[in-house]
Amino acid sequence: MKKWFGFCVVMAALSIALVACSGDDASSGESDGEATPSGEQILKIGNDQEPAGLDPHTVPAHSSVRIYEKVYESLLTLDENMELQPELAKEWDQPDDKTYTFTLREGVTFHNGNEMTAEDVKYSFERIMAEETASIAKSYFDKVESIEVVSPTKVKFTLSETYAPFLSYVASTNAAIVDQEVVEENGDLMQTAVGTGPFKFEEWEADNHVKLTKFEDYYQDDIPKLDGITYLTMKDESARLAAIRTGEVHMTTLASQSIPLAEKNEDLTVKDYQSTEYSYVGFNVNKEPFNDKKVRQAISLAVDRQEVSDIVWKGDAVPSGPIPESMGKWSIDVTEEEMYQQDMDRAKELLAEAGYEDGFDTEITTASTYPDMVDTAQLLQEQLEAIGINAEIRQLEWGEYIDTWTNGSHEMLVGRNSSGNDPDRSIGFFFSTDGSANVWGFSDERVDQLAEKGRTTIDTEKRREIYNEAQERLVDLSPNLFLVSPKKYFVLQNNVANYTPTANEPENFDETIIE
Amino acid sequence: MGFMKEIINRLKQDKVGLVGVIGVALVIFIGFIGPFLSPHDPTEMYKSHTLEGPSAAHWFGTDEFGRDIFSRVIEGAKVSLYVGLISVGIGATLGFVFGLVSGFFQGWVDHLIMRIMDILFAFPDILLALTIVAVLGPNLRNTMIAIGIVFTPVFTRTVRAAVISVKEMEFITSAAAIGVKTHKVILRHVSPNILAPFIVQITLALSGAILTEAALSFLGLGIQPPDPSWGSMLNASRQYMEIAPWIAIFPALFIIVTIFCFNLLGDSLRDLLDPKLKS
Amino acid sequence: MIAYTIRRLLMLIPVLFGISVFIFLIMKLIPGDVVSTMLGTEATEESRQQLTEQFGLDQPFYQQYFSWISGVLVGDFGVSLRTGKPILPDILSRFSLTLELTLLSAFLSWLIAIPLGIIAAVKRNTGTDFGVRVISLLGVSVPNFALATLLLLVLSLTFSYYPPAGYVSLLEDPLKNLQMMVLPAIVLGTAMAGAVMRMTRSTVLEVLRQDFIRTIRAKGASERVVIFNHALKNAMIPILTIIGMQIGVLLGGTVIIEQIFSLPGLGQMVLTAINQRDFPVVQGAVLFIAFVFVLINLLVDLLYSYLDPRITYK
Repeated sequence: MKKWFGFCVVMAALSIALVACSGDDASSGESDGEATPSGEQILKIGNDQEPAGLDPHTVPAHSSVRIYEKVYESLLTLDENMELQPELAKEWDQPDDKTYTFTLREGVTFHNGNEMTAEDVKYSFERIMAEETASIAKSYFDKVESIEVVSPTKVKFTLSETYAPFLSYVASTNAAIVDQEVVEENGDLMQTAVGTGPFKFEEWEADNHVKLTKFEDYYQDDIPKLDGITYLTMKDESARLAAIRTGEVHMTTLASQSIPLAEKNEDLTVKDYQSTEYSYVGFNVNKEPFNDKKVRQAISLAVDRQEVSDIVWKGDAVPSGPIPESMGKWSIDVTEEEMYQQDMDRAKELLAEAGYEDGFDTEITTASTYPDMVDTAQLLQEQLEAIGINAEIRQLEWGEYIDTWTNGSHEMLVGRNSSGNDPDRSIGFFFSTDGSANVWGFSDERVDQLAEKGRTTIDTEKRREIYNEAQERLVDLSPNLFLVSPKKYFVLQNNVANYTPTANEPENFDETIIE
Repeated sequence: MGFMKEIINRLKQDKVGLVGVIGVALVIFIGFIGPFLSPHDPTEMYKSHTLEGPSAAHWFGTDEFGRDIFSRVIEGAKVSLYVGLISVGIGATLGFVFGLVSGFFQGWVDHLIMRIMDILFAFPDILLALTIVAVLGPNLRNTMIAIGIVFTPVFTRTVRAAVISVKEMEFITSAAAIGVKTHKVILRHVSPNILAPFIVQITLALSGAILTEAALSFLGLGIQPPDPSWGSMLNASRQYMEIAPWIAIFPALFIIVTIFCFNLLGDSLRDLLDPKLKS
Repeated sequence: MIAYTIRRLLMLIPVLFGISVFIFLIMKLIPGDVVSTMLGTEATEESRQQLTEQFGLDQPFYQQYFSWISGVLVGDFGVSLRTGKPILPDILSRFSLTLELTLLSAFLSWLIAIPLGIIAAVKRNTGTDFGVRVISLLGVSVPNFALATLLLLVLSLTFSYYPPAGYVSLLEDPLKNLQMMVLPAIVLGTAMAGAVMRMTRSTVLEVLRQDFIRTIRAKGASERVVIFNHALKNAMIPILTIIGMQIGVLLGGTVIIEQIFSLPGLGQMVLTAINQRDFPVVQGAVLFIAFVFVLINLLVDLLYSYLDPRITYK
């Protein structure tokens, strides 16, 4: 009996101590976003997802991109108007349609002290293009025939044919310049990151945090202002909301549903930006009845996109075509398109013409991981009932969802796409007959021609016309139902200054400070 | 059957148990009759009335799609009970058969069955259910199968232990001695004697099943929308807990009351059926 | 006793082997693979093939199993396909968190449940008994995630309190660590308290009815002595059973709470790995959890005989 008693006393004492600690924390633990005691400016971000590896050449997950994009840099970058700007290359020119030369910025060093030279550029692109890397950017550079180091600061790319998206892809974060030495030391770049960017990678503790610190020798003076960034993994929305409210983190992302709550809070500021994403419904155009254009058009006419925006995104989403609004000059105004004018009678007529006057039964596949997709599916199910289409929702866990997407073993599939850097992605990559993300079985000669023409036309204005036509054609043929492009939000403490999110660089902390 | 009558008689004297019985009966009643009483279609969206608080038109308010929460909670009773009954039915049946076979024959059959149960048992419940659902695909049927499999080892062990203890009893050995066939012995004598712990286990497992389904919903692998189960409703409500608390409160209340009553009933049955506690 | 322990340990081998096969098969059966989840919509036929080969997923599956299990047998759990990180060190560091959380919440539940169970048993069928049972059952009846969400919401709104963000281990910073663990432990502990309370109540009741207690009472011992020195001591064994089971359940059952409170525990590891189809991680972690679970059960069994000399093992 004594054993038990002694044990209980010890545990009781422990628990009292616990409760006591937690009690006084309520007053003292509140950092209220102030700088750490040492005066260091560490920005704490509540991160909604855990990064899935840090290799900029192979990992497409947004949770990883947001971290490695601060560590690595590419030759070029895009500004908020989708115009090319110098980054590691201070200038570039194009002696002929198939040749590009880049002149590198001098005196740029990697975080390990190695100098960044033309050799590194050549190595990085060769790494991307090498099959065993399995880089997601490999297809961007399929047309590259040779890379030549002209001098330590000059590098020349020769393409096998004219390829208009080339420079936009060079500006992609996935075309980051890496250090050969680091790759060879580590075998890969999944666990470490050594780039030339304003922040150095310090540590990554899985499911806990990623720490970045200021790179003192960054080639731009006075950048960054912060001493470091700590990404704290907080997968649960309610945890992020509570953490930002209590000042435990400086900023975080929140879903539209929580935004009114953050707006009400006087200590918080909400910043939004139009995302480069759009939600869509993909049809398997090989399967009946979706092989009939009229059925797809009927569905497009029956869907109320405004309602999707209102209910799923609390009104903060705009109707989108194949190229979302945030792509600036490349996107068309879809609100005028015939297929976007909700018209139940016309929808029913089209269904009848296709031979489905009584509607049909189908299935909407969606991913359980994203509440917005599940909500969109439920709303569509309800909207389609009005024209006699009875859809059942099939909610899949992410891994299986991606599999279904890849195999095209769905009928209707709700998803969200990101438009990337170049309109070629939205058109060629997703909808040309041999596009690697064309999982819909969609094939249209005209779209193929336009995609090809878009790739080989350098003149921006002409390219724009080509993509306008392609978008209109896609909206009309509706292999996908392009729904809406949502806004995204950052919620920050009022003392976080000099930070403005934009569509293509939502997290630029170069100038950000904590006041 | 005299056995049931005795239980009912004894339950009448136990007030706590009675509360449990009434509660369980009420929930079952709502589950079966409720859908005929509900004022709205549980999946109908009143889109101009989203996130409205309780009112005369919508007694429990509406959710983000403007669906009537009262009707959904009622429909949810059906779904949640269905999940509970079927999955526990699967687990109990499998457990009963395995336990009976294992306990009665012992030897290598017993070893084999019990090692398989050990393997299942060593898996954390929620992870086991999660992986099974992930393999089979998330829908109502597979959720029930997964929960059923999760519960099988517990039932097997309960039944096996009871069978072994009953087997040692004199009347069984003597029945065998006078030449009664084995399967007859099992059916005639063993089964009724192991019913007590078995029934207790069932009432407890029922509440476990409802909670497991809720947990699966949280992990995104529960019942498919738009069909409501209390668990999936509660999970979907988390985003709105502050703006529209009624979305969370009502399904939560129903889960709590139901599980509470199942547990009360289970507790009382345990007390009543335990021969050692007979006063 | 020693012979028994050894025999029990040997019996673990087929079970653990079975678990390894079972989890391996399940991971093969889950639709979707690590390559798809990794590349998502960026996949091209080439990159997909390349990775499949790199990960050895194109080999026959018995070969995959053997290369995995032969590594495990010598303590090499392999590396995560997704991140290239060695798996075993990760399992161990996460295990320390999950174990701490498990023990804390188990302890909290005993703190609530054992005294309540005794009270309920002593005052059987009175208002107190009923009240105690209602309270402890309430804890069991609320889904964990709802209670956790509510707790976070209420604390942040009313007291502007949120546990310190960014997990640190007990060794690094005990105070901060414990602050992080209190809330999750409370949520898990309340859920567990019901079962322990129930077991305590019924075993104490049972013991109180036994002859020897009557004898002690007849000898004029005070009720306090009867309950604490005799009844509770004898009731400890069944209570221990449930505690052993409870720890086992908690080990894998903390996954939801870990997610809500942003704790990098074992549950999170398995969940993320399942979602990403990072099968060596799932296999390794599940095998590890199962191993700990069977060990705990063995330990509980052995403790029995230590606490109760009447039990002997053949």
